Amino acid sequence: MKDLDTRMISAHDAQDRIALIKLYAEAADRANALDASCFYLTHAYIFALEAGAPEAKALHARLKAEGREA
Amino acid sequence: MTDTVTDLSNVRASVENANGLPNAHYIDPVVFNEEKQALIFSQWAGLAVAADVPEPGDAVPMEFLGMPLLLLRDKDGDVRVFQNICRHRGMILVEEPRKIEGAIRCPYHSWCYSTKGDLVATPHVGGPGHNTHDAIKRNDLGLIEVRSHIWRDVVWINVSGDAPAFKDAMADVMQRWREFELPLYHGGHDSRFTLEVQTNWKLAVENYCESYHLPWVHPGLNSYSKLEDHYNIEKPGEYSGQGTMVYRQLTNENGETFADFADVGSKWNEQAEYIAVYPNVLLGTHRDHAFAIILEPKGPETTVEHIHLYYAVSNSDEGLRMRNTQLWKTVFEEDIFVVEGMQKGRHADQFDGGRFSPVMDSPTHCFHDWVASKVETHRAKARAAE
Repeated sequence: MKDLDTRMISAHDAQDRIALIKLYAEAADRANALDASCFYLTHAYIFALEAGAPEAKALHARLKAEGREA
Repeated sequence: MTDTVTDLSNVRASVENANGLPNAHYIDPVVFNEEKQALIFSQWAGLAVAADVPEPGDAVPMEFLGMPLLLLRDKDGDVRVFQNICRHRGMILVEEPRKIEGAIRCPYHSWCYSTKGDLVATPHVGGPGHNTHDAIKRNDLGLIEVRSHIWRDVVWINVSGDAPAFKDAMADVMQRWREFELPLYHGGHDSRFTLEVQTNWKLAVENYCESYHLPWVHPGLNSYSKLEDHYNIEKPGEYSGQGTMVYRQLTNENGETFADFADVGSKWNEQAEYIAVYPNVLLGTHRDHAFAIILEPKGPETTVEHIHLYYAVSNSDEGLRMRNTQLWKTVFEEDIFVVEGMQKGRHADQFDGGRFSPVMDSPTHCFHDWVASKVETHRAKARAAE
């Protein structure tokens, strides 16, 4: 996870939204608790939404399935 | 009510007897703010041009009389104007002109909006990882849209939201120029320029709408466009300006001219018109090109003039365009010392607003009459609300 944190910080510094979508989705998959997973999924979703990236649809569906998104 | 109440009784007298607007209408910050509401926010005012946002997703933040606005072309190609703030904490959403690829994300807590202004995401609003909450109704919390309408590529806005429908408010001027209801093509980067002028915006209107000054301030026009070739245009309460009967097309070294607007009729062969559409848009039209000037009031004594030139076709000749831009830039720059000189003159406390030539100044008087009527209406409403 430490390596992932480092890559996230780098992606934030570079404002690399495509990388941020992937890294937060990876963090969500690695998280042990549902709330933590949905926290990371939310970030991946928001960056995808902002970028107009195709991943937004699937990320939204995952959050909605957990009752976390409208 | 404002602290400064000017006496406008003589402004609305007939042009033979009227005085111009009192000095305070040009230099007093209190009157400036009063006019902001009475003359601009309550009317259809020019904000920008649609050519500023040529592609879907193009977004340009702008400040209009202190109000942060966002000019945006949505995903379907419609131009919209929003207040440039998040409905959550009022944070400015877009700081620099840029392309919105997907959604507009607030940089503070990442609430997201579609390019149509819909609130589409509220991350963690119900706690970490919980992105909804019953109290936050997304349908009620879209971006605040400012009423807007595009005509002659100008983005007109009615901030107060209660002006008559644009097509009703502008029916007369639209009818006057009905032959020119044709596609306008912005000339591009070589066909736009701005001039920052140390003057109140109204003096720019007043100078634009009369031809009296032309032989003195623009002597270069005398060779082909004499004072007697001009006529006044006046529509009380709406617009005023001037026209010429001897417009001569620009040519290049090969004798080529710009393409004409199709089928506008022989009336316009040598006729051209220059109209100040109240409050702040100055329009010009000719058989082969048009322009729009949006006056951006920056303060009581500073105005930015945004000038855009348009053609009948998308592929007008670049050399001719550049020559035409330079021609108009020279004319408008020749006007700067006049509007700045009149502005300085408004600090002479014995000035009574001046007197008008009943023959030559009636377009200016028409504008003053409109200003006075709108300010009086605004003051009456304020008194009624007390």
